[in-house]
Amino acid sequence: MSSFGPTSPSNRVRIVVATSVMLTFISYWRAAAIVLNDLASSAFYACGIAEQAVGKSAPWFIVAVMLFSFAVRAVYVESCSMFVRGGVYRVVKEALGGTLAKLSVSALMFDYILTGPISGVSAGQYIVGLINESFVTADVHGWIPRAVHNLFNGTPHLNVNLTSVVFALAVTIYYWWENTKGIQESSEKALRVMQITTVMVVILLAWSALTLFKAGYNPVPLPTPQNLHFSKESLGFLRHSFPEQSLARMFGVLGILIAFGHSVLAMSGEESLAQVNRELAHPKLKNLKKAAIVIAIYSFVFTGLSALLSVMLIPDAVRVPVYKDNLISGLAMYMWGPLILRLIFRAFVVVVGFLILSGAVNTAIIGSNGVLNRISEDGVLADWFRFPHRKYGTSSRIINMVVLLQILTILASRGDVYVLGEAYAFGVIWSFTFNSLSMLVLRFKYRGERGWKVPPNLTIAGTEIPIGLISVMLVLLSTALVNLATKSVATVAGVSFSVVFFVIFTVSEHVNRKKHALAKEHMKDHFQLLQRDTVDRGSLGIRPGNVLVPVRDYNTLNHLRWVLEHNDTREQDVVVMTARISQFGTAAYGLSSEQIFSDYEQTLFTRAVSVAESVGKRISLLVVPARDPWSAIAQTAHNLESSAVAAGISSKMSAAEQAFALGSAWEAIPEPKKQFVLQIVKPEGIVDTFRIGPHTPTMKNEDVALLHRLWLNVTREPGLENVHHHDILTEALTRFAHDYGSRDHENIVKELRRHGAEGGPLPIRRIADQIPTVQPGPTRSDRDNGPHSSEE
Amino acid sequence: MDLIIITVLVRILETMFVVGAVGSVVVLVLSGIEDLKLLFGREEQNHS
Repeated sequence: MSSFGPTSPSNRVRIVVATSVMLTFISYWRAAAIVLNDLASSAFYACGIAEQAVGKSAPWFIVAVMLFSFAVRAVYVESCSMFVRGGVYRVVKEALGGTLAKLSVSALMFDYILTGPISGVSAGQYIVGLINESFVTADVHGWIPRAVHNLFNGTPHLNVNLTSVVFALAVTIYYWWENTKGIQESSEKALRVMQITTVMVVILLAWSALTLFKAGYNPVPLPTPQNLHFSKESLGFLRHSFPEQSLARMFGVLGILIAFGHSVLAMSGEESLAQVNRELAHPKLKNLKKAAIVIAIYSFVFTGLSALLSVMLIPDAVRVPVYKDNLISGLAMYMWGPLILRLIFRAFVVVVGFLILSGAVNTAIIGSNGVLNRISEDGVLADWFRFPHRKYGTSSRIINMVVLLQILTILASRGDVYVLGEAYAFGVIWSFTFNSLSMLVLRFKYRGERGWKVPPNLTIAGTEIPIGLISVMLVLLSTALVNLATKSVATVAGVSFSVVFFVIFTVSEHVNRKKHALAKEHMKDHFQLLQRDTVDRGSLGIRPGNVLVPVRDYNTLNHLRWVLEHNDTREQDVVVMTARISQFGTAAYGLSSEQIFSDYEQTLFTRAVSVAESVGKRISLLVVPARDPWSAIAQTAHNLESSAVAAGISSKMSAAEQAFALGSAWEAIPEPKKQFVLQIVKPEGIVDTFRIGPHTPTMKNEDVALLHRLWLNVTREPGLENVHHHDILTEALTRFAHDYGSRDHENIVKELRRHGAEGGPLPIRRIADQIPTVQPGPTRSDRDNGPHSSEE
Repeated sequence: MDLIIITVLVRILETMFVVGAVGSVVVLVLSGIEDLKLLFGREEQNHS
């Protein structure tokens, strides 16, 4: 073990840095659900914003954008086939260099910062819209008390924008706290939300079809220049140079391009595809393509068709004036059928909108936290931001900054979804443009094989011309450039934001460079980083049956000291491991060993080495990037063939909860796998021990007594003299499994829940009291001598 | 003069958009055919 004086290279402490993130792989359905949670949320506000900007033919542009998103998706599939850990930062840095990568990430940050406020405010608009509509309906039926009526000088009514702001703030603050505590993004939850959303979409489409048949429809004007009616706001900087409608006549195609630019936020969320790629199960490319197909078809059907239907079914007189910010609610109210059914469906729409939009608020915080963590790891944001929260270990300073920016955005918008949407489109279109431009550059920079290429590609004189990639890039770039002129709010806000972030990144990078050079020198003196793609015993040079000690906070290493004091490391190796946690999607960004083993890990391992030195024992050090700490611990213990995991007590979980979490992660590991022991070491030195994996349970004395009494009775039955205690248990468990699987399932679950809630005895204890103790007869086997646990 | 520059810039943008849109339709059709094959095509069987 090295001390920290002058050190020769051979004496440096060896640290194995695993560069592959320890992931639980997901199916393409779950991956599609995660992306759709972001992408489908725009269906709730995109068409309303587009119609305000370009007029009644807006739905055709939404449909066009959704069709174009099929082509954008193809670019992302190619990018993911090249970079398993894709993401705009990695792709742009690889193709265009660090400066443009920082600029593209600034645009992406703007996208993420805006996603939260627009989703929160939009959800608020849907909820307040429903509340106000309910007040009107109640008033019509005379259900509003006169006093309340007088208080509001008429029908009670909430200020829509103000209440939406309050709601958006509440949701943002809620998720701020959840993220500070370190909630896990769950693909299961995303799948559930999408299942509920699908039910709503099916009802919406079926009911709309019935309504079209029964009540007729308004035609949607074709997307020709003559049918475009730009508002003053939608012409941005051009409104001063050109009279309102002259643009369409002067430049017909330009009008269409402007309208397309105002609808482009309908495909926001497509970039999440690159983030989930890393987590996709084998065969990765095939599953990625399948996920992409599901995403494209679903978003086309939901966002595209609901936009068309809203103009076809909601009368012009109310569509924009009343329902511009909650169009799907408006659609529900203009279905054919009784009012009460329409109100119920509207409430369902609001519930779904709340689920999906508030989920998008969370995704925005997680995404921006991930991007800033990545930037910070690359040395372009001060390490101060990444310092873990004292109690929860999360990068709370980054979360605080992101949420503060979101709160300021919500307040500045004053609940105006249109303003937020206009600004939001800036981040969306520029991050897509940077990505497609980079992919195009990479076609010429790296001519090697790819998993898949955007078709078509023509080869002329030995040079491949990526026609498809160029086409998509041209549409994105022309749209992004036109938006600069027509979206003045977005341009001013987006450019200012991006420039400010770019300057912060550049200055931080400059300041950090010197500091990092010193730190790197120090690290080189004391630690030898060995980069490995996966974790195995060979790379650490350890034997099977070792003890794995996960560490996180360098102030709480008591459990490591306890392990070292109670183990002979000559007989049993001790591996100190820290999991470098990346939030969902951040696995998309490539990590080098220096990024994984940062200043914090250096301090943490320096303290761990000090503890080992003070005890005089040897330890091995390991860093693994992971999305979920429990999966990382379980998989590492599995890979290293550890016999025990010794952890400290968590600040937010009990020992039993920690054991349950680790057990659940262990269950996800494919067979074959070995069980191990989990020791939770409390600060006072008390150790709780759990067995992870299938194991003989520890039986309580009364259970053993009951088993013995039953055995005594059974063995008195003729022909059952040779029955053993374990035979009784086998029969009891078989009967339990049968009852649980069929007739008595509900009662068993109810009883176990009651037991769990009360912490009281199960009825079996009372049954035990009723069974008479039978004195052993002469036929009793010698092998069953008195009550004992079935473990024996 | 300003109008000429603006007109030229606008025409460039329009050309980029139209050419890109036509090419994107081709991307859409070709990748759509691939998608259909992936979704409804028969899986290759491994015979050992």
